[in-house]
Amino acid sequence: MDVKLRIHRFVEGKKWVQDYTVTLKVGMTVLEALIEIKEKQDPTLSFTCSCRSSICGACSVRVNGNAELACEMLVENLVKRYDTNLLTIEPLGNFKVIRDLVVDWDPKYARIKKIKPVVQPKDEFSKEKGCKQSPEDFNKYKKYAGCILCGSCVSECNKNTLNQADFLDPFVFVKAEKLVADSRDKSPEEHLKAVVDAGLWRCFNCQECTAKCPKGLDPAGAIEKLKEATFAKKLDDNVGARHAKAIYDDISESGTLDESKLNIKSEGFLMAGLRAPMALRLMRVGKMNPLDTHKVNPEIETIRKIVKNAEAAAKEAE
Amino acid sequence: MKYALFPGCVLEGAAAEAYTSLKKVCDKLGIEIEEIPNWTCCGASHAQGVNDFAALVINARNISIAENMGLDIMTVCNTCTLQLRTAKARLDKDAKLKEKVNKVLKESGHPYEYKGTSQVTHFLWILDEHPELLDGKVVNPLHGVKIAGYYGCHILRPQEVMNHGDGKHPEYLERLIRKLGAEAVWFDASRKCCGFHAQLAAEHDVLTVTGQIVDSAGRAGAMAIATPCPLCQMQLDMYEPEGREAVHSHAEVPILHLQQLVGFALGMSKEDMGFNRHVSAQEKLKIG
Repeated sequence: MDVKLRIHRFVEGKKWVQDYTVTLKVGMTVLEALIEIKEKQDPTLSFTCSCRSSICGACSVRVNGNAELACEMLVENLVKRYDTNLLTIEPLGNFKVIRDLVVDWDPKYARIKKIKPVVQPKDEFSKEKGCKQSPEDFNKYKKYAGCILCGSCVSECNKNTLNQADFLDPFVFVKAEKLVADSRDKSPEEHLKAVVDAGLWRCFNCQECTAKCPKGLDPAGAIEKLKEATFAKKLDDNVGARHAKAIYDDISESGTLDESKLNIKSEGFLMAGLRAPMALRLMRVGKMNPLDTHKVNPEIETIRKIVKNAEAAAKEAE
Repeated sequence: MKYALFPGCVLEGAAAEAYTSLKKVCDKLGIEIEEIPNWTCCGASHAQGVNDFAALVINARNISIAENMGLDIMTVCNTCTLQLRTAKARLDKDAKLKEKVNKVLKESGHPYEYKGTSQVTHFLWILDEHPELLDGKVVNPLHGVKIAGYYGCHILRPQEVMNHGDGKHPEYLERLIRKLGAEAVWFDASRKCCGFHAQLAAEHDVLTVTGQIVDSAGRAGAMAIATPCPLCQMQLDMYEPEGREAVHSHAEVPILHLQQLVGFALGMSKEDMGFNRHVSAQEKLKIG
């Protein structure tokens, strides 16, 4: 069976789309198809690759709108998923394109630097005594050390697509959580302050990063862990944190969200007051009624105990 | 067919029409639903960022009540589905974590332990798995009606937890739209996130994407957008005017809860489906 690869080309400012046909072989990866095109059909086609074993992270591309690690994604699986023998291949999204499928990592490295991406060893460590940690402590961040910087997680990130200036790439948050969870670091606050300033709470929670990570690292989960850590370090004086806390507190206060107070708790009276036109809009169609009283769950005492006991158990496990 | 219903907070509040329409549609389809007594908020995809373990125990409690009812859980909100299924997935694969959670439930006086016996599913998934529920009941097939199916994020991702169909290339919403007699239109922004969960922290971007989604559906000729998530529905419906302004669009598209679209095909009216509670494009809806 022949498969047509429709590749987005970009060379020296000129953009076009070019079709190539390859004969599908069992076990053929997207990268093998690209290499075959370059070797046998068009030596001008540019892409990056190195290890061919899902280790180096150099070969990620977008196929039919989804980021894939080209060296591990089988063409036959894509043909099956999309039920077509026409696959569109583009460079990763949310990257500057250098040429064809080659993207520019330099701006990304600059963004990684924003989170102070180095372990600052605790004062108790020295050249003589070493910099040891227990296996339990190592396991707290081990998963995140598996990031291969392939860039797949940011390709379809909804927040980055709208505006990269006030938000980071998911892989940068993964790196930050790795450092924050590392018991050898003497100042997790430094990394946390940096991620809060760089947009931690602006994450849309769309889960695209987690869905696209070929290593299963769950960048969206890393973002949630960073948020949790900001509360522990009292770095929670911002609208996103107050909003999350208001929702969390509502569970203990009544059991469910009290929509009428959510904005006031998150933004304060003044900002919430500026939203009066929206409140009127909702009142007009019956979505909001200032006379309604918020119901309290009949089991609220048990629910409060559950939250309190869970918090105590979580603290004990730290 | 009977389910324990986890309605979620917004169905008790701003999206109450999603609840009333669901009850009527389930009644007509022969799906019996019984609300989980004294359920709490699932955490709304925010609580785990404050205290992950507390959010997990809260959802273990929610699920355990349904287990005691001897029923699987039906949800009608993408985010509630994700939160409950995430809790279930974590507890079912980690016996130690389950033990820890059950210890907290017990010492707090909750009468049931989490066992893992109830499945958690979404109204849309039930209709996809049981297309026979609609057989002979589509008395008002939506012929000639173009619908933009908008999944929202949390029903699709992460695939490990939300594993109904292929999250990278879902087709089941379109399949249902066609089953109702309507035409499912493809639109460019169909997979964009509505941004509901960051409305306050990234307002400008969220309003922009709200505008992009509605504009894109409008340009594709959609007569309405239908979504299985009440949070996406609220974001697109309530903020449609600001979205238009953000992207300089003229698109006015009604935003339907999925069960309302099903209800119209089952012969129910706009009044039955609570469409008078919608904010945007009321006069544009030509069905029901």
